[in-house]
This record gives sequence, C-alpha cells and structure tokens, in this order.
Amino acid sequence: MTGALGHFTLILALLVTLYGGVAFVLGVRRRSPPLLASAERSVLVSFALVTLALLVMEYALITSDFSIRYVANVSTKASPVRYKIAGLWGNLEGSILLWEWLQILFIGVAVFRFRRRPHPLAPYAFAVLMGISAFFLLLLAALTNPFQQHFPVPPDGRGLNPLLEVTDMLVHPLLLYHGYVGFSVPFAFAIAALLTGRLENEWLTLTRRWTVVAWLFLTAGIIYGGWWSYRTLGWGGYWAWDPVENASFMPWLTGTAFLHSVMIQEKRGMLKVWNLVLITLTFALVIFGTFLTRSGILSSVHAFAEGPVGIFFLAFLATVVLGSLGLLLWRAERLKVPGELDSLVSRESAFLLNNLLLVAFCFTVFLGTIYPLLAEAVRGVKVSVGAPFFNYVNVPIGLALLFLMGVGPFIPWRRASWASLRQSVLWPAAVAAVATALLMALGVRDFFPLLGFALPIFVAATVLLEFGRGIRARRRLQGERWFAAFRGLLNRNRRRYGGLIVHLGVVLLTIGIVGSSTYKVEREAALAPGESFQVGRYRVRFDGLEGAEAATHFRVWGAFTVTTDGKPGVVLKPAQRFYQGFDSPFATVDARYGFREDLYLILAAFARDGSQATVKALVNPLISWIWLGGVVILAGALIAVWPVRREAEP
Amino acid sequence: MRRGLVVLLLLAFPLGAAGAIPEEEVLDVAAQLRCPVCQNLSVADSPSEMAKEMRGLIRERLERGETREEVMAYFVGKYGEWILLSPRATGFNLLIWILPFAAILAGLVGVILVVRRWSARARALPAAATPASPDPAYLERVRRELEGSEGGLRP
Repeated sequence: MTGALGHFTLILALLVTLYGGVAFVLGVRRRSPPLLASAERSVLVSFALVTLALLVMEYALITSDFSIRYVANVSTKASPVRYKIAGLWGNLEGSILLWEWLQILFIGVAVFRFRRRPHPLAPYAFAVLMGISAFFLLLLAALTNPFQQHFPVPPDGRGLNPLLEVTDMLVHPLLLYHGYVGFSVPFAFAIAALLTGRLENEWLTLTRRWTVVAWLFLTAGIIYGGWWSYRTLGWGGYWAWDPVENASFMPWLTGTAFLHSVMIQEKRGMLKVWNLVLITLTFALVIFGTFLTRSGILSSVHAFAEGPVGIFFLAFLATVVLGSLGLLLWRAERLKVPGELDSLVSRESAFLLNNLLLVAFCFTVFLGTIYPLLAEAVRGVKVSVGAPFFNYVNVPIGLALLFLMGVGPFIPWRRASWASLRQSVLWPAAVAAVATALLMALGVRDFFPLLGFALPIFVAATVLLEFGRGIRARRRLQGERWFAAFRGLLNRNRRRYGGLIVHLGVVLLTIGIVGSSTYKVEREAALAPGESFQVGRYRVRFDGLEGAEAATHFRVWGAFTVTTDGKPGVVLKPAQRFYQGFDSPFATVDARYGFREDLYLILAAFARDGSQATVKALVNPLISWIWLGGVVILAGALIAVWPVRREAEP
Repeated sequence: MRRGLVVLLLLAFPLGAAGAIPEEEVLDVAAQLRCPVCQNLSVADSPSEMAKEMRGLIRERLERGETREEVMAYFVGKYGEWILLSPRATGFNLLIWILPFAAILAGLVGVILVVRRWSARARALPAAATPASPDPAYLERVRRELEGSEGGLRP
C-alpha cells in the first residue's frame, strides 16, 4: 500500500514536471502570463509530490516496512532511528530520490527568487531545469523505483553497509548532492542564453551566487569526505583517488576553473565560448561521475548498482553534451569576441594559465579513472591506476597552480607593470626564501617538500600583505579600529577578499597535505598486555582488551596508554566492529588530534583470549591543517557570497 | 628500555634479521602495490591481514637482497599487472603517462597563441582608429613593425 502510494506519487510528479517544462517554453514564446503562472505552479505541485514521496519513504524506513525491498536493504529493526532516516541515501534508489528532491527544491527556490524580478532568460532556464528534473523522475519511476515491493516479506532487513553506519553519513552525502544539484542552475541559464541568443554577461551575473554556493557545498562535501575517510575508514588516510572521490573532484576542478574565468568575461567581455564550455563540462562531469559510480562499471566502495541505469545515464549525458555542443555551434558566429590585451603578462593571462592547469588536472584525473576500462578494452588486461600515478602527475600541476595563486591576484588587468608586481611579490618572495632556508636548516632537503612548503608560505605572505596594506590604509585615512578596518575592507570588494581568504585556506590545506604525506611515520607491533612500543614522540602501552554488544554489532576494543615525551598522557581505545553477515571486521580508530601532529591508532588484530593485540600506529604531522584549511575555505566562500548593504560605504 | 625495543622489534618483525631493512623502505614498496582484498587501498595503507602478510613478504625479499623491482616483479608474476597501483610505462600504457603532459603542452601553446593574438590586436587598434590610413596592407605592415619593435615585455 505504502509502496504503491509512493510510486504513484512519483509518476504523477513526472507528468506534472513534463507539463511544467513545456508550459515555461510555450508561456514565454506566446507571451502568456497565465501560462507562465501555471508553469510556476507546476513547480510547486511537483515539489509537493516529490516531498510526499520522500516522506512516504522515510515513513516506511522509520516504521521498518520491509515489504518495500529498499527498506529491507538499508535498515534493520534494530537500527537507531537516525540511521533509519539516513537509509534514504544509503543506496542507489533512495539517493536518486533525495537528489531529485533537492533538484526540484532548487528549482522552486530559483522560481521564487525570479518572481520578484522576472528576467527573459529565466523561463527557458526553468524549462531546462524541469527537463533535468524529469530525467531523474523518469529514472525513479521506470528503472530505480525505490518503492519496489517484494514477497515474501522478510522478518528483518539487511541493514546499511557498516561502513556507512557513522554520524558522518548524515552529513557528507547531503553536502555533495547540494553541490551537484547546485551546478545545474548556472548550467540551465547558460543553455537559456544559447537558446535565446542573449549572450551577454546576464546569465553569469544572474547565477553567480548560485555557482559559488554550489561550489561551496561541493568543496565542503569533498573535504568532509576526507575527514570522514580519515576518522572512520580506518586506514589512516583521507584521500585514496578512489573513482567515487574522483567523480566528485572532477566537477570541482572545472567548477573552480569556471569561477575564475567568468571574471575575464565580466571585466573584459572575452572568453564567452570558453565559459559556456566550462559550465557545460562541469554539469556533464556531475552526471558522468554519477554514471561512473552508480552504473557498476567500475567497482569501488560506493558503487552499488548494476543494470540498465548505466545506459540511461549515458543517454542523458550524451543529450547534455551533444545538445550544448550543437547550440554552441549554432551560436558560434555571435559568440566571437575579439580579445584585447596590452601586454603578454596580465591578469587575463594568469587566469588563462589557471584554467589550463585546472582543466589539465581534471583531464588527468579523468584519464586515470577511466584508464582501467580502456586498458581492458584494448589490451584485455586488468590494470590499476592508483595514488602513485595521480600523485606523480598531479603534484607538479598543483605546485604550478599554487605559484599562480601567489602572483595572479596581484597582476593588474590588461597589462602588468613590473613596478606594481614587484611591490606585491617582493616581500612575500623574501619571506618564502627565508622560510625555505629555515626548513633546510631543520633538515628538509628534498625538492618537492621544500617547494611544497615554500609556495604556500609565499601565497600566504602575498595575501596577508594585501590585507595588511588595505587595513593600514583604512586606519590611516578613516581612523578605523583594526576590526572595523578589516570589515570595511571586506565590504569594499567581498568577492576579491573572500576569494583571497579562500586562497589562504588552500594554503593551510596544502601545508597539511605536504606535511602529512611526506613525514608520516608508521609502526605496527603485536603486544601482550603491559608491553609497549615507541612511535615518534609517543610510547604506546597495551593495557588490555574489552568487548561489548551494541545495537547492530559486537565491538572489541583495546586500551592503549599513550605517553608523550615521557609525560603521562591519554588512553586511546581503537576497536573492531563485527557485523553479522560480514566476514571481516570493521575498524573504529582512535586518535589524539593536534595541530602539530595526530597520533592515530588502528586495532589490526587480537588474540581471542586477550593475550595479544596487534596495533598499527601512525603519526601524521600537520594533518589537522587540512581540516582547518577547509574551514577557512568555506568561511572565505561565505564572505564572498554574503549579501551586503552598500550604504555603509562612502 | 633497550631490551624492550629489541623485544618489540622481534615481535613486530618475526621474519629474518630484524632492523636490517628500515620500515620506510618496506612501506615504499608496499605503497606501489594494491591490496588484493581491499577497495582501492595500497598494501602500505591497508589494515587487512592479507596486506600485513604481503608487507612481511616484501621485507623478507628485500632482506634477501632483492631489488625493489624484483620484489614488484614477483607480485606481478603472482597476481598479474593489476597489482601495480601505477601502470608500467611501456606499450599502450605510455598513453596514460604521456597524454597529461602532452595536453598541458598543447594547452600552453594554445594559451600563448591566444594571448599573443590579443595583445597584437590591442596594439593594432590605435592604428585602425586613424582614418588617414585605411589601407589594410599598410595596417598589416605597421602591426608587424610594431610587433618587431615591441614584441617583448614592456618595462
């Protein structure tokens, strides 16, 4: 009964959405306000219907209605309520339902925002968005019906994958989906611009905030994913170049390129085609990533589906790519803008290089991700492409990007004068040189770590110098206090200074990556109770094993007393979780987090009688800087999009 | 304290002469190999029993005097090319090693061409604005001359 209701709601939503898409186009072409109003209402109706379907699903999940196959797949009677709720995005069908709900929610918000200030592009963009929404609804109604019933009804469900039964599960996928869905809005306005021939900067400025917000969510999702991986997947790392991670990273790279290159179009009116290509690429990569990871074509932690879904996604992807390409060719003549530049070195060239590197980065990730498929098809041999390849190729690209990050924002538009460039770069370069000398004195000798620390320090110095100068000028001219001067500076150009704060976050993140990947110390030991071993500054003593029954699993943990430099310290309790139906246990790590370094313990094995435990200890220097950097990045992005009243400014 | 360390080393590395090969070197090789029972983790990172055994095997072979390449070749022989986390740069695999750099180079050439064209146009514009010289051939010559004299970076 519940199942039929849910499925029927989805079919109804599909019909309403299709009607809405057509009504938007007809309404604007026939200049019929009633038809447009009806189209807007259809968005509302569709949103209500999808919300209803979502609630029906949650009701089934919370009440453990195992007659619905999906519910039986992702929850058990004993699951805590929060994981029953999170079961909605614990598997393919539910994830798509959630995605579609966010999609129609975003459309609703967009319609609401444009109601007050109607714009000729908006109805076309809404039609495109309704088309995207219809794709997901068709997928749900026809292929991945989350309300599929099955007989006989099992007495209990299978439950979530134990890897997903962690609090982060409640956050990380939501952030990513917001990012994915968010990029559909600028994409839709780009298509609307091509359709209508209104090819000026409107589509960019109308969706600028949407783009930054989508980028913000995607960034938060990716970094949160790393944090999740680090704390709960139990291998001591935060990024494995797993296809699923790559799938979220590729649109991030092109999206980041887009955020930068739109500035050239806004300031100078150039690169129109390129910006349209970039946003299309970003949206296409979102769909491609989903296809890659959800079609079962590559196997990885998260890929849990097989079947006709892949072909369906591929067809949609082809429509997006070929459709956009066709429109671009059709409008090619009108998109030609003669570019102009007074000197080879200018902000524009810095942005072009930035775009080149980001897109090349994306291309490398793409190539590495699909290469196993390619090799299997061409050579008939299974190969792997993992961290060593990605690091080898991408580290130089990343360093080059950092260099640009230090120089680019301080090169004037059109033409660089060496005097002005010197003014903003000389001191930071000196700071970086001193820092490099210090690092060498401290024993850092290898080329890449040295460069990996020196470049972020250089970038940080340029940014801080810029802020320092601005604040000092305001204090002198307007007699403001420090904080007021800082705020005034931000308000004068939120986008620029917010962006610079984002760069500062990237600096912290880079230092964390370089530090933790270069100077990681790893030791493993089998200990009897009372025995201890040394790792870095720490002495780790095994005290004993304990075990207890939890709601969904049995948990065994070891108590380890850690003394730091001889000072008595904390007790860490890394554990293993045993689930019914899974042969191998899942690790719950425990760690002592700190700014200087983390001590991270993994319980690798133990003797059942408690006479021995094998523990793996990792010392990860500076790894917290990654998360700190993430927070700073988000703060910077928020500053950049935060609406500000202008009246405070003289 | 020192005895404790010896006991520890013996416990940690029961195979072969403990301490002859630093742990870092074992992990360096292990980082190049894929853990066969995990999802996309290296033998160095994986907490699994299987990976632990493989690390022991790597240590054993290194201590026997085998080079890293020989150790990796042993695993390739046992599991196939799939065990390597970065494909060997031979034959068809060269594609994945060369293409990224080729793409960057091509892109760089593209960027330089675009920037040169843009800056050339900017310099030509003032000339084009003068009504006294409408002859395109003449304009072209002026542009070339300007480019010749001011081709480099301005001070």
